[in-house]
Amino acid sequence: MSEALLELLPSVLLEGLLLGCVYAMIALGYTMVYGVLGLINFAHSEVFMVGAVAGVEVYRYLGPHVENPYILALLALVIAAIISGGLAMGIERLAYRPLRKRGSTNRLVPLITAIGVSFFLQDLVRLIEGLWHGEFYMNFPADAQMEALHDLPMGMSIQNKSILVIAVAVIMMLALDHLVRRTRLGKAIRAVAQDLPTASLMGIDPDKIIGRTFLIGGALGGIAGVLFGLLYSQINPFVGFVPGIKAFTAAVLGGIGNIYGAMLGGLVLGTIETLGGTYLFFLTGGALGNEYKDILAFIILVLLLLFRPQGLLGKTQGEKV
Amino acid sequence: MALLDVQNLTKRFGGLIAVNDASFSVESGQIFSLIGPNGAGKTTLFNTLTGMYRPDGGRVLYRDRRLSGLSPERIARRGVARTFQNIRLFGAMTVFENILVGQHPHIRYNYFDAIFQTPRLKHAEKRAEARAHELLEYMGLSDRAFDLARNLPYGAQRRLEIARALALRPKLLLLDEPAAGMNPQETDELKQVIRRLRDDRSITVLLIEHHMSVVMEISDRVVVLDYGKKIAEGTPAEVRNIPAVIEAYLGKGALEKPQ
Repeated sequence: MSEALLELLPSVLLEGLLLGCVYAMIALGYTMVYGVLGLINFAHSEVFMVGAVAGVEVYRYLGPHVENPYILALLALVIAAIISGGLAMGIERLAYRPLRKRGSTNRLVPLITAIGVSFFLQDLVRLIEGLWHGEFYMNFPADAQMEALHDLPMGMSIQNKSILVIAVAVIMMLALDHLVRRTRLGKAIRAVAQDLPTASLMGIDPDKIIGRTFLIGGALGGIAGVLFGLLYSQINPFVGFVPGIKAFTAAVLGGIGNIYGAMLGGLVLGTIETLGGTYLFFLTGGALGNEYKDILAFIILVLLLLFRPQGLLGKTQGEKV
Repeated sequence: MALLDVQNLTKRFGGLIAVNDASFSVESGQIFSLIGPNGAGKTTLFNTLTGMYRPDGGRVLYRDRRLSGLSPERIARRGVARTFQNIRLFGAMTVFENILVGQHPHIRYNYFDAIFQTPRLKHAEKRAEARAHELLEYMGLSDRAFDLARNLPYGAQRRLEIARALALRPKLLLLDEPAAGMNPQETDELKQVIRRLRDDRSITVLLIEHHMSVVMEISDRVVVLDYGKKIAEGTPAEVRNIPAVIEAYLGKGALEKPQ
């Protein structure tokens, strides 16, 4: 029995890596916005969901015309990134900025606004999809070429679409790292995150930089939505909630405000969850089944807040964004 | 023509009038000092000039155009830079990066350049980096370029704040107590730096300073504030003999001979 479980381990870890990539991509959006505004943008889970829905629509309308599944997936990723990025920027412009301009220092107000935006978007998408296609559940169509398996050592095997997920996530994270560390925009984002009033005295327009931060975080969230759809096929307008809250946990796990923390936290959380989902049943002699895996993320969140509230990579005075 | 014309500027916080109907004008090429006791409204005046606070009355003209009411970033882009009494560097960035942030409005390229790494972008970055090195050299910080700003010693942090302000290529530089916490040698160097800014770079300097030796030696003109009001203005020599100034600094009765 235990030998069989051990043999499973590499495959489980690979599965965890895939899930972790999705969490990390979503977590980046939470952590970047937190970095510049100190706001937990709970509407980000819906930015992710809208990305997944945009992906479904690309498959629905462009699928019949595009032969190559990789080109189709890339189209879905790019279009979802644009739509989700634009949506995130729109949310900031319409919902958060007016509150900020009013100069309220109460941090609950934007937080509750974020939750409201989240509900609003869930039902708006449900309404639109209901009227447009009469659908609640939406599917990313299966493609034989994308699902083709490659054998790896140690009894692992990997599908083409999984390779795509890892490649996209790695490229996006490297690109983000380059952007934040090397470019003029990245330096401005870090400056605003560290000290907004001083950044503005350097001729940096904080509103513009905050908008760009939402754009980048939203685009990553939209890409994560398509990756999620590719991996798990079926989505619906409420699909954002659980991955969203887990990605938020991942961001806190890594140290909120720290982009490398979000990447690490996502991978760690994805791995733990997949391990739990596989082994919990056996370890508890069948008392706890696979359905309890979701609880693991939140147990981790509770333990973390108790023992290391600054997160894995967070320092009390750590670098934000 | 005055570079900066402050007209009847007023700033209130609730019932407190922090800056009260203050007027003065700074000529191009001057080193112009604001002095006054603690709480006289000097820093509030700086914050109002740089757009961090909105004035409640009066106006500010800069090169004959209205500055009051603009946002901090617009004012910075017009060529007004400042430093802070309590240092406000980007501590988690390197010294070099702090300077690059200061150059933000002067590094110009678009998304096309950024995505395709065009020669225009490379050129803009090269120029920005060269200029950053030049500024670090000028302020004697070259050997610390890649240290985190928060790890610099105090005096070096003060110099970095000036270097970062210079990165904006200001015509007018507002220095808020640059000599605070400096030892006598650093203070002497600071005087040289401020003079050089004016002489080599034709930067007009508006200075808040408590070290009287700095104010008296390098200022062309001095304004004295007390309780937000301007109580005196003149050359350093004139100002130091005005009874109201001595009274503001030392208290009422300071001029009366002890019995």
